Amino acid sequence: MRIPEKILKKVEKPGRYVGGEWGQVIKDKKDVNVRFAFCFPDTYEIGMSNLGVRILYDIMNKIPDVWCERAYAPWTDMEDYMRANDIPLWAIESSDELREFDIVGFTLQYELCYTSVLNMLNLAKIPLLSADRGADSPIVVCGGPCAYNAEPMADFVDIFIIGEGEYAMTDLIDEYRKYKSGMSKEDFLHEAAKIEGFYVPSMYTVEYNPDGTIKRYVPKYDDVPMKIKKRIVADMDKSPFPENLVMPYIETVQDRIVLEVYRGCIRGCRFCQAGMTYRPVREKTVETLNEQAKKLAENTGYDEITLSSLSISDYSCIDHLTDEMLKWTDDRKISLSLPSLRVNSFTKELMDKISTVRTGGITFAPEAGTQRLRDVINKNITKEELLRACHVAFAGGKTQVKLYFMQGLPTETDEDLDGILELSRDVIEEFYHTPERMKRTPQVTLSTACFIPKPFTPFQWEAQCDYDELIRRQRYVVSQNNDRRIKYNYHNAAVSRIEAVFARGDRKLCAVLSEAARRGMRLDSWEEFFDYEQWLDVFAAVGIDPAFYANREFGEDEWLPWDVIDVGVSKEFLLRERHNAHAGKTTVSCAEKCSGCGANKLGGECTWCPKTKDSN
Amino acid sequence: MVSEDERFELRVKFTKKGGLKYISHLDLARTVRSAFLRARLPVWYTLGFNPHPKFNFSLPLSVGTSSECEFMDIMLTEKLDGSKVTEMLNAAFPPDLRVTDAYYPTTKFSQIGWAEYELDITSPYASDELAGRILDALDGDINIVKKSKSGMKPMNIAPYVRNASCTFADGKLIFRVLLSCGENTFVNPKYLIDHLEEALPTEFADADYTTCRTQVYYDDGVTVFT
Ligand code: SF4
Repeated sequence: MRIPEKILKKVEKPGRYVGGEWGQVIKDKKDVNVRFAFCFPDTYEIGMSNLGVRILYDIMNKIPDVWCERAYAPWTDMEDYMRANDIPLWAIESSDELREFDIVGFTLQYELCYTSVLNMLNLAKIPLLSADRGADSPIVVCGGPCAYNAEPMADFVDIFIIGEGEYAMTDLIDEYRKYKSGMSKEDFLHEAAKIEGFYVPSMYTVEYNPDGTIKRYVPKYDDVPMKIKKRIVADMDKSPFPENLVMPYIETVQDRIVLEVYRGCIRGCRFCQAGMTYRPVREKTVETLNEQAKKLAENTGYDEITLSSLSISDYSCIDHLTDEMLKWTDDRKISLSLPSLRVNSFTKELMDKISTVRTGGITFAPEAGTQRLRDVINKNITKEELLRACHVAFAGGKTQVKLYFMQGLPTETDEDLDGILELSRDVIEEFYHTPERMKRTPQVTLSTACFIPKPFTPFQWEAQCDYDELIRRQRYVVSQNNDRRIKYNYHNAAVSRIEAVFARGDRKLCAVLSEAARRGMRLDSWEEFFDYEQWLDVFAAVGIDPAFYANREFGEDEWLPWDVIDVGVSKEFLLRERHNAHAGKTTVSCAEKCSGCGANKLGGECTWCPKTKDSN
Repeated sequence: MVSEDERFELRVKFTKKGGLKYISHLDLARTVRSAFLRARLPVWYTLGFNPHPKFNFSLPLSVGTSSECEFMDIMLTEKLDGSKVTEMLNAAFPPDLRVTDAYYPTTKFSQIGWAEYELDITSPYASDELAGRILDALDGDINIVKKSKSGMKPMNIAPYVRNASCTFADGKLIFRVLLSCGENTFVNPKYLIDHLEEALPTEFADADYTTCRTQVYYDDGVTVFT
């Protein structure tokens, strides 16, 4: 082990750094040709729970001469010791330094991890800028949800993998083998840029208009694509899914089996990026899922399985699936859990069937306080549906309900904010109208996030409210809430603003991240390290106005920083949906009727999509 | 319902090494639980709302200390051979956790009186001479401040420290000692290290060390516990 014992004895949770877990893959270096460091730019506890990492770790390690290892952001106590003792960042399995690896890959799960990516590179003594990394440095690749618009990271990353990584990773490794057998880095990147789903930012120069908006992207070579098409897994039943997991010793945030039931979402909430970028909807069959769950349970020894998807109750065979699984999970003392339930799927039968629904807390996400605003955002649930679901929960012995809302949504007024509290009071009322209720005081906890306009959503053009206005709206709800049974929690508006800046950022923001890295900023997703003043100072230092990105309405004819990416869903559809939003018109789910989003052109075994001529 | 007489308490002796020594007892318990499921061991589950397997560890082991002789008592619903359980668990345990023996016990953990530890100390000052001074520092009273729930308590642990020896070999100091495991007289090896760091500040400034529990004894400090 590379880290001296006396340091491990001093740091908080040393189990984060030592590896040795059941299921970790150890290979003999003499049999290995390509070494891949899979980095998660946050702590071990968070990274170990990520499903994408679990899947790709398994896929890469199944290739005999590829060894994929893990690396995480050290906590600050460890970082201090590493810097003081000149210990470069290492990978868990071999404890070899990251800079000795062939490929260093990061998954970008949220915008605020960007500083941690740079800090990890810095700790690993790998040059931050792609242009400064020669043949003796690892290739740095990034994927994950934020890669759909990671232009603020463009200068630091050699290759972005756009979309689902299952098959893209093998393509990357194959291309890398050619590089290793004698090719210049420039030629390698040029070749990589031609692979579907591979976005090589250095292959494009960006020209700007005098007002700072983008004029156009100019490819460096004629044969690199003008648009990079998202990769998808065509057939989810045939797609590789791990039969084994690395079992963490210390507790992690999702310390259980996460069974991915389907990809995509049939709804079309207009603020939701995942709902658009994961289209088209591709389901696994009950047989496949049951088989995968059994194997994983046997091999890992986990006693909890979460069925995971963007909206699990929309799975077309959800009852069949839970019935099949309950046939063996109860016997083996394994509990099944379902996250993200929609109000209309919350029934007494479900509560009776699923123990975690019975015992756990319940959460619903109306997202907006009035029907008008819910129509604007296309959150197709009504007050009556919500109250019915709460009634079921109260009759089943619950006394507490958690409701998710968003504040600062386009067209939101104070009336909509009043609506949040009215809806909460209605839920409390419903409690007293439930004859079977417990003899206790009910509690409604409101958890409200700030709206962040995200790329590839119908709201991608909208401005985020000014910071002061976000704060005013939060204070307004506080001032209007005089019911002690309603607890109002809200997200830090400053954090949401910085997220908004990077979510819709362009390459000019690379300078901001360089400066942030220079100042040693990292772990910004942790409240205790996020420093808004420092961020404003960084923007000022490099002469960039954050409002240009967060608080400006983008022009409908403007070249957007993410227009170089093709996610399947067309810009025309998004625009149509934006106009529907402003007209207060809702759009039905894919299960009812196809609304022509364009994602079906990606092909695949889709559950609801009509076939197109060019899909296969 | 499973009745009382269908449970069999089995004692498992195991080693805990490598990265695993940085894992707390609580986390070790979770690891053991999942290993039971992987091994398909017929463990007995508690009855009631939240069934869970029952098992007890012999002694606390501080985070950072490895061990060659840990014990846990587990409850089975079938009287399996110890060797069979050893085999099943070793196939399901991570490599740093190894079962060395399993048997149906006749003793209780409360009969444990002493544990032996080995500390490997690397220091630029390591020498025969330092080995002697370490032993000198442990001669007479050993006054430490014991942290407990009720606050800081000064205490002389000398009566609970026995058979200290220290040798210098291969550039390393090998320090062996027997420490009390009594309920109120449990001595964490860390107290000795703290004491030595205080007594020999220069020599210990750049020292690094590993700690390993090597043997467990009954009250007499001589007979090996089984
Ligand atoms: S093509 Fe139609 S059915 Fe398919 S995801 Fe788009 S809107 Fe839904």
